[in-house]
Amino acid sequence: MTSARRAAGEAWAFRARVEQEAALRFDRLAIVVAGFDPGSPVPAMMRRAADDERRHTELCARLAASLGKPVVLDPEANLPSIAPRSLDERQAVLYEVVAACCVTETESMATLTTLMAAEPEPEVREVLHSISKDEVVHSRMGWAHLSRESAAVDVSFLAPLIPGMLAGTIDESLFAAPPTDEDPEGLLRLGVLPLEKKREVFLGTLEQVVFPGLEKFGVDPEPGRRWLAGAAAP
Amino acid sequence: MQFKKLFQVLVLGGAMVGAVAASACSQANAQDKAKKPPADAGTKDSAGSGVKGW
Repeated sequence: MTSARRAAGEAWAFRARVEQEAALRFDRLAIVVAGFDPGSPVPAMMRRAADDERRHTELCARLAASLGKPVVLDPEANLPSIAPRSLDERQAVLYEVVAACCVTETESMATLTTLMAAEPEPEVREVLHSISKDEVVHSRMGWAHLSRESAAVDVSFLAPLIPGMLAGTIDESLFAAPPTDEDPEGLLRLGVLPLEKKREVFLGTLEQVVFPGLEKFGVDPEPGRRWLAGAAAP
Repeated sequence: MQFKKLFQVLVLGGAMVGAVAASACSQANAQDKAKKPPADAGTKDSAGSGVKGW
């Protein structure tokens, strides 16, 4: 097996687990948001997003298996909140929505856009296309929730929590040297960003999409920017 | 990568979605309001964490 197929199989298997977790998270958050913001369109979006994510799980798992990396998912999986214990319920939901949607789904959208432009293999392209149509909505629902919350309550508490949120979003290897056997072109054909490109997309998305978005809705992006400067320093 | 376009589509597009009239959502949300979150919806890490993605 080539290094690209092996690495891509692992990446698609990881994505299958990420998508399964997202489905569980959106199911849970939809209920809580509906409890304190009954006029919000976000819970309905989250219910649809959870269904999308279950479909994405299957797509990613199938691709992983075709690359020699079968995925075993736990059908009884549960997913605790990632929010700090110090937050009240409404703040904790906002923290989790910003982490899952405004940061991670926005980063995923940038990744998908980059991969789609890189001429992947037809089977991979089909999966990327199918997933990207949904991920646009999943990112938007995060920004929709932050927008509504910023009009209703003080959201500035998030600013000092953004560094911890971002640190939990990445793998430490993001800022390390690429594997010596990395095959960038092979990875792109199989729907995976080579490390240098992945870093470029991650940084660009934070600096030009996520941080300006947070600032627009009253969350000071400076703590996040300082964390990024430190994390990305050589 | 057209980050400016992503900002417009995702961030500004999301803000527009969030501003929709409430009436259409109220009935569906009332059904959700009657539910309770799963008992395991607690907090994993006292300092907070992030969500890994693609």
